[in-house]
Amino acid sequence: MPARLDAPMKVTGDAKYAMDHNFPGMAYGYVVVSTIAHGEIESMDVTATKSAPGVLEVYSPFDPLALGPVSTPMFGETWVPLRDKEVTYAGQPIGFVVAETFEQARDAAMLVGVSYRELPALTSLVDGLDTAVAMAPGHVDEPPELTVLEEGVSSIEEAFAASAVVVDATYRTAAQNHVPMEPHSAVAVWEAGELTVYSGNQGAHLPALELSMALGLEPSAVRVVNPFVGGAFGGKGQTSAPAFLAAAASRRLGRPVKASLTREQVFTATAGRAATVQQITLGADRDGTLIALRHDSWCSTDIAGSFIEPTSHGTSRKWYATRNLAISQKIVPLHLPPTTYMRAPGEAPGSFALESAMDELAEALGMDPIELRRRNNSLAPPGRDLPWSSKHLDECFRIGADRFGWAGRTPGGRADGDWLVGMGVAVAMFPAQRFPASVGITLNADGTVDVQTGGADPGTGLLTVLSLVGAESLDIAADRIRPRIGDSALPPGGMSAGSTATASAGTAIMAGAAQVIGELLTLAASPGAPFAGEEVTYADGRVHGQGHTMTFGEVLRATGRPGLTAVGSSAPGEEMTKRSFSSFGAQFVEVRVHRLTREARVSRMLGVFDGGRIINHQTARNQLMGGMIWGVSAALHEGFEIGVGEVRGRVANADLAGYLIPVNADIPDIDVHFVEYPDTLHNDLGARGLGEIGTVGVAAAVANAIHNATGIRVRHIPIRIEDLLA
Amino acid sequence: MRPFELAAPATVGEATGSTGTFLAGGTTLVDLMKLNVVTPHRVLDINGLPLHGIDTGDGLRIGALERMADIAAHPGVYPVISRALLLSASQQLRNMASIGGNLMQRTRCTYFRDVSMPCNRREPGSGCPATTGTNRMHAVFGTSGSCVATHASDVAVALAALDAEVRLAGPDGERTVRLTDFYRTPAGSPEIEHDLRQGELITEIVVPRLDWAGRSTYVKVRDRQSYEFALCSAAVAMDVRDGIVADVRVAAGGVATVPWRLPSVEAALRGRPATEESFAVAAALATDGAKPLADNAFKLSLLPRTIVRALLEVTERSR
Ligand SMILES: Cc1cc2nc3c(=O)[nH]c(=O)nc-3n(C[C@H](O)[C@H](O)[C@H](O)COP(=O)(O)OP(=O)(O)OC[C@H]3O[C@@H](n4cnc5c(N)ncnc54)[C@H](O)[C@@H]3O)c2cc1C
Ligand code: SF4
Repeated sequence: MPARLDAPMKVTGDAKYAMDHNFPGMAYGYVVVSTIAHGEIESMDVTATKSAPGVLEVYSPFDPLALGPVSTPMFGETWVPLRDKEVTYAGQPIGFVVAETFEQARDAAMLVGVSYRELPALTSLVDGLDTAVAMAPGHVDEPPELTVLEEGVSSIEEAFAASAVVVDATYRTAAQNHVPMEPHSAVAVWEAGELTVYSGNQGAHLPALELSMALGLEPSAVRVVNPFVGGAFGGKGQTSAPAFLAAAASRRLGRPVKASLTREQVFTATAGRAATVQQITLGADRDGTLIALRHDSWCSTDIAGSFIEPTSHGTSRKWYATRNLAISQKIVPLHLPPTTYMRAPGEAPGSFALESAMDELAEALGMDPIELRRRNNSLAPPGRDLPWSSKHLDECFRIGADRFGWAGRTPGGRADGDWLVGMGVAVAMFPAQRFPASVGITLNADGTVDVQTGGADPGTGLLTVLSLVGAESLDIAADRIRPRIGDSALPPGGMSAGSTATASAGTAIMAGAAQVIGELLTLAASPGAPFAGEEVTYADGRVHGQGHTMTFGEVLRATGRPGLTAVGSSAPGEEMTKRSFSSFGAQFVEVRVHRLTREARVSRMLGVFDGGRIINHQTARNQLMGGMIWGVSAALHEGFEIGVGEVRGRVANADLAGYLIPVNADIPDIDVHFVEYPDTLHNDLGARGLGEIGTVGVAAAVANAIHNATGIRVRHIPIRIEDLLA
Repeated sequence: MRPFELAAPATVGEATGSTGTFLAGGTTLVDLMKLNVVTPHRVLDINGLPLHGIDTGDGLRIGALERMADIAAHPGVYPVISRALLLSASQQLRNMASIGGNLMQRTRCTYFRDVSMPCNRREPGSGCPATTGTNRMHAVFGTSGSCVATHASDVAVALAALDAEVRLAGPDGERTVRLTDFYRTPAGSPEIEHDLRQGELITEIVVPRLDWAGRSTYVKVRDRQSYEFALCSAAVAMDVRDGIVADVRVAAGGVATVPWRLPSVEAALRGRPATEESFAVAAALATDGAKPLADNAFKLSLLPRTIVRALLEVTERSR
């Protein structure tokens, strides 16, 4: 069995992504987007478009598709296109041209004339700081402003006044987009009152539900299929504009419709990561003990205020054993594209600020940055009585320092020819969570086993994990498991979000396997069956009775059963009232900066992670490397460019030539190491999430390494050449 | 993209005699057609024309249709040229893109590429949002109130340093123009980018013989290690004798509306010791007359550093 089950299909081109589905009579849709940031569409001239070759239909707010509002308990409201004439950001879907071919739809879409009543647009996060509104992150169960004070301390200010050393700084992080390789897209097939939508997403059930709401259909009338997903990272949880449009147009036209955003449109017509401004004040004793920690955050969001990037709540709330703590979250609604979850939402930009500030404190104290972190190791989130279930962060740092040669670091860095070399570290943490999940397990008479759930494997390795955990739970070889995912017709579970899929689906498999084994034993010992009346046990894929054994396939064949199915379920339970759960890691980065031209390039990286039990070392390593590369990207390359004088709120670099992500040459060999302590207090499998933690802390480690190399402290990301020219 | 007619002329005469937009590798043209930035009614595929060959006998002659990758790999090509090519775009693009098309590539200015925005270069008289908008990548030399876009070609900078010429064929015959005269700074008409007349075609690039051009290099500073345009670049060739600069050529990229030759820096280097101190003194002259914008003033600091780095690299190699 390959280390990643889907790899052979992907590298040979056999993997069929959503857009690879083609049907007879299929039409092609092209999305038209707004070119202003704020205003109302007064009119749309579609005469030329309608008479262009091959055009079937042009939909707009003036000739809308039947699409209703969508709201779900977990994700709140999901924006549905063409429902009104209001424009709230540049690049918002405002029309949909359907034609016989993709090229015809695209060319005709260019002929649409739009006139707007333009209104003043707010596009600057900095300008909006004064009018920001306090708002608690939707998925965090705490108020937007929160203070934990030691007994006898009356305010956080008093705690700072009592601190021997205080550092205070403001950090900024850029807005980003997930930029999955596969753009948001869909193929919709409407047939006999039922809709099937092929679309890459993070779990088939949510879009199926959302599509049924938008189209006013029974949930059972919509099926969403996504066996392969070309990257998601939080940006494909909710249903995308092309999926809504293709589905509604397919119903109207009675033909299958395929639609995809262009690469440029992905930057605006989806949702990305907020830009943030964060002020951090740290007060400590001379020995490094934290007395007070204050972390105030502001984030950009769309004008509806739909998402709060939890930079304070996601990091400072829990990371250190500070005696006093004050955090806040505020939002600045802007006429910019929507924001949403993006790999380590909160933790990624939040850790840049917090872990840079810790480095500044270490410097102010003249203390080794690792030692400072060790002295403030938390046993539980401050003010909470729930200790970490299993925390080995100190060990991560110890092993990391050794492997990385941290002892060779000198406070002023070193020179290697024309290159200034520095090292930096940072803590990484990401909460361990589970979502409710069900997985169907079917023992087949031919000796194979189906393990099936609706969730997705957007490159995370879930498909392989289903095989491995299924094999272990049923005590058979992994190549006898046939895992299936990505279909809303399968049991709901394994949604690829919050780094939860392995822990959630894995424990559901264990539960399902126990159930199906129980049923198999009952069947085997039932009257007329091969083990009738015997004491039976299960091991090694076989039923064992008194003096004889049979494989489960033989039992099924002997009893005339094609298969035996059980659906195992799991959900977070009472463990949440007993402990706090998180994955931990130590990030090490070495950076080289050219002494003249000041390019900063990462030359070595190491991450040591405490993520509970590792189910598949190769896919786990792959996830963490990918996350660490994201961290380098955030630190040195990535970010929306929205000019200060840009009244139209236009993302100036909305393509892959202008929106920089690292190329291979920017990424050195990456060392990933695990300390493996199964966390069975969290779940029976003992595995915690790994999908997001890899990116946490890396940007700070890069900035800290640059400071070590050059003496220059850069408090914003991405860090670019002009920041280092001093 | 708008529907267009495609023709494939078989001879240079046929190509220059017909109206249409030339298509070589298509890596600029097709890209801009997809964005509706250029909307030709007729496209002339010139890939069948006999504009090939790399001749290193006396100086260097390169057929306009030679691919960037092939020129870069040719052992007889001066290092400054092959390095400028190798540091351009990506291997895939270099396999497709021709040197003629490279010299004719359009600016990467983000407003130029977005038809929903004004742009004097694309639509004369519509305005230049870059002067007040996002202009980190933009030029500090050769700019005007009507346009501040950089010329994006790397190899053009190397060629400008080496006094290269372009041979042109047109309805009225052939002529040869020095590359530095070929390009036009925007002044009041940024839509006029070069001295190419109606129907004219670049047939060949000619680099005069320069015996010491083997000691040359191209340093390109950018936001990632590969596959990105220059924030600032320097093409340098230098003849050092007994530790003294006997002769030198310096041109800069990423900073100007056209490939930017730096005669004042060259003059200040000639006859001086080949040391970092004297390089720094000369390179400081490079920024004379620069007009920085809101986001790109750092190029005034970066340019001299880039030139010094390139000069040091050549010195190192000449030892
Ligand atoms: C993502 C990306 C990154 C890039 N990065 C770089 C970089 O780092 N450095 C760099 O220098 N370049 C870079 N480029 C630009 C690339 O080098 C040019 O697109 C390429 O050289 C153009 O050559 P072509 O043969 O494809 O030209 P085409 O696209 O075919 O033509 C370009 C233009 O030249 C005209 N033309 C073509 N041949 C002739 C001729 N013989 N005579 C007259 N006119 C002619 C065409 O009509 C057209 O207007 C990049 C391009 C892309 C897409
Ligand atoms: S700088 Fe030149 S190319 Fe860019 S918008 Fe202004 S006029 Fe157009």
